[in-house]
Amino acid sequence: MSLRFLGIRRTLATYVASSAAPKLQDVVIIGGGPAGLSMLTALKNNQKTKHLKCTLIEASDLGKIHGFYDNPGEEYTNRVVSLTPKSIDFMQSKIGNWEFIKHDRIKFYDRIVAYDAQDSDNARVDFNASATETGALAAMAENINIQSSLLKKLEVLNDTESTTILDKTKVEEIINPNQQNIEETHDLNEIDLNAGNANLDWPILKLSNGESIQTRLLIGADGYNSPARKFARIESRGWQYNTFGVVATIKLEYEDYRSIGWQRFLSTGPLAILPLTEDNATIVWSSTPELSQILLKTNKEIFPHLVNAAMVLDEVDLQYLYKLLDYNPDDFTVLDEIKWRLDKFDQQKLEENYPLKVTEVLDGSRARFPLKLSHADTYISPRVALIGDAAHTIHPLAGQGLNMGQSDVAFLMAALESGIERGLDIGSTLVLDSYVANAWPSNHMLLGICDKLHKVFSTDYYPIVALRGLGLRSINLLDSVKDVMVKIISSR
Amino acid sequence: MRLPVRTIPSCITIGIRIGIRSSSRLHSTNSGFTSLSEDEMSHFNALASSWWDVNGPQRILHKMNLLRMDFIYSTIRNHIQLNDPETPEDEQVYIPPFNVDLLPKPVRNTIIQEQEERRDDILNASKLSVLDIGCGGGILSESMARLSFIKSVKGIDLSKDVLEAAKLHKLKDPMLNEDEHKLNYELMAIEDIPKSETYDVVTMFEMLEHVDHPSKVLIEALNKVNVGGWVFISTINRDFVSWFTTIFMGEHILGIVPVGTHTLEKYIDQSEIREWFDKDPERKSSFKVIDTKGCIYLPAYGWKFTSTPDVGNYFMAIKRVS
Repeated sequence: MSLRFLGIRRTLATYVASSAAPKLQDVVIIGGGPAGLSMLTALKNNQKTKHLKCTLIEASDLGKIHGFYDNPGEEYTNRVVSLTPKSIDFMQSKIGNWEFIKHDRIKFYDRIVAYDAQDSDNARVDFNASATETGALAAMAENINIQSSLLKKLEVLNDTESTTILDKTKVEEIINPNQQNIEETHDLNEIDLNAGNANLDWPILKLSNGESIQTRLLIGADGYNSPARKFARIESRGWQYNTFGVVATIKLEYEDYRSIGWQRFLSTGPLAILPLTEDNATIVWSSTPELSQILLKTNKEIFPHLVNAAMVLDEVDLQYLYKLLDYNPDDFTVLDEIKWRLDKFDQQKLEENYPLKVTEVLDGSRARFPLKLSHADTYISPRVALIGDAAHTIHPLAGQGLNMGQSDVAFLMAALESGIERGLDIGSTLVLDSYVANAWPSNHMLLGICDKLHKVFSTDYYPIVALRGLGLRSINLLDSVKDVMVKIISSR
Repeated sequence: MRLPVRTIPSCITIGIRIGIRSSSRLHSTNSGFTSLSEDEMSHFNALASSWWDVNGPQRILHKMNLLRMDFIYSTIRNHIQLNDPETPEDEQVYIPPFNVDLLPKPVRNTIIQEQEERRDDILNASKLSVLDIGCGGGILSESMARLSFIKSVKGIDLSKDVLEAAKLHKLKDPMLNEDEHKLNYELMAIEDIPKSETYDVVTMFEMLEHVDHPSKVLIEALNKVNVGGWVFISTINRDFVSWFTTIFMGEHILGIVPVGTHTLEKYIDQSEIREWFDKDPERKSSFKVIDTKGCIYLPAYGWKFTSTPDVGNYFMAIKRVS
């Protein structure tokens, strides 16, 4: 792998006429996010699959991510994910990128406290890691930290022969050479199918740099709007939650030695404060479209106080505060409104049972993204496999998105390994079948659970509020049930 | 693999012409290729693609191939001699003279990992030659040819049209055409192979139950294997379960195999093959039946190894020891 070396390749490629025979590859991965890069690195770090000729195509510039390894910068970036012990184990033992992670920017936490905003008794569940082998529930890591460690691992593997990364390159078109009635939109004059191997039923990718590649197996790690999925004509079902996730990087009043992830279920959506190293933390605040607008425009001096209020105060009070800030985002009287309300609480209880106070929000770290659920009907078709967000998108309330992608990579790798041992063509569904059979059902269950949690907690319908309060309190009393839940989540 | 022959329409002459030309296309410019009519071409393509359509009529065979390959791969890999007598002592892999599970876990894992790595090294350094008897459309031949430790595969069959399907499908994977010895098909009977030609691995799957003189065929196959090499065969036990699954259900109820394909009288018990080896002292000293595994087809799941080789279908691995 060499990002610099690729620059030369690209200029050469532009001199080659576009009607040239497509270059043959064993695996082409579309998408250089954590899932795509993990897939490439896992293939190259495995004795059985490392001989495969692989190309990864990414539209954006991976140079900045690559630079993170040598120069990580001072502040945390706002795209932070939660890694389960199982994902970490996979990165240690199979992908081999864990040694290149910036460990001083990883925060392990061993407790999650989740509580309900609408229940007067403050129904809460306190999960801890005593049931897990590793003693940690999960670790918070920046996306860029994971991606750069994968790029570094690829650089160390130094397999220039059969690894190509084409960044700043778009896939303009994917063509199925087998299709008799190719739609009119395909300009066949631009690619001379017969110039390649006309016998191959492998997909042909036309790239923005003028090159074309014909691949035995196409892996779509190309996100929610996956062109690879559309090419394979795989239906993806799901819905928008009409909810946005607002993320921000924040500073706490001091470092929290308790290592707790906090989550409060508000009727507008769950608000989570997750610890990073030292006094840093990250928040994910699921909210209605209107509220997310308010959260983004609120004065940066007021925002930390608003977060503190939202972790403690009644919903009625919060609605009042939102209204004030919607009218005037720089309304500093809000600070007094929050202060006298918080002062009414027993200060010792506030210290023990609630997160530390937020003191600062980092400039430019606030952003929002729409939340949605989607699940592809299947992850494979002949010569195509989907991983990560191309296959499924999940509500972030359980922090499972990236981990599902990692488990996809693990299952797909297992399928490819056994396909190679059996001497099969790795693009065949005979090989890929076991990937779907293993990955789909557990992903589906997790998607369902997170969806139900979101729906149950976003209502203020009294019977449901009462029931869920009862549920939370009962679960909290039953350590064995909690241990099972922790094991399920952390062993994924 | 004779069974599907009956389902294939005869277009032998066209098939051969196209087949030969298309295979030579790889090494030369394809002049003259397009002079064949589109009709003939598409007809032949359809023939080949139905054999190789993994969701088509041959699905059961494609699924069985997964189990065959598991059997062949694990048998060859697990019987590699880790320490050659000529290996200097300090380069030898440690093989404890007792069960490794008695050792503490980390020590045990290190020993096993070392052994596995040596196994892979030896396997990857091997370059074995394979003879696939009754190769049909080449499902097993192609899989064998893709293995890293296989140098060359020769597939032979008596049916012209399926061989042409095999040759055409071979062109669909560049990996099988990298060098001209990697995979080749020939229309010939086993007895027509020159005496001097021997192989490291001889495979004969789903065939013995279709021939009139299985022992003669088996002797021919055994004669083709080098010392230290393997013969892999599969056939069916002559019992009620076999009749029920392969003839009653397979042919008459589910119709996944043409009626009349199988004859119960031609089935051979695995114990009979073992006895056959024991009967002849010379054969007994040269060959050893290393493993026999029963297998069964479960609808909606696929093929699965069973706990007994004495019922239904089975695979057998025979090693030539001297």
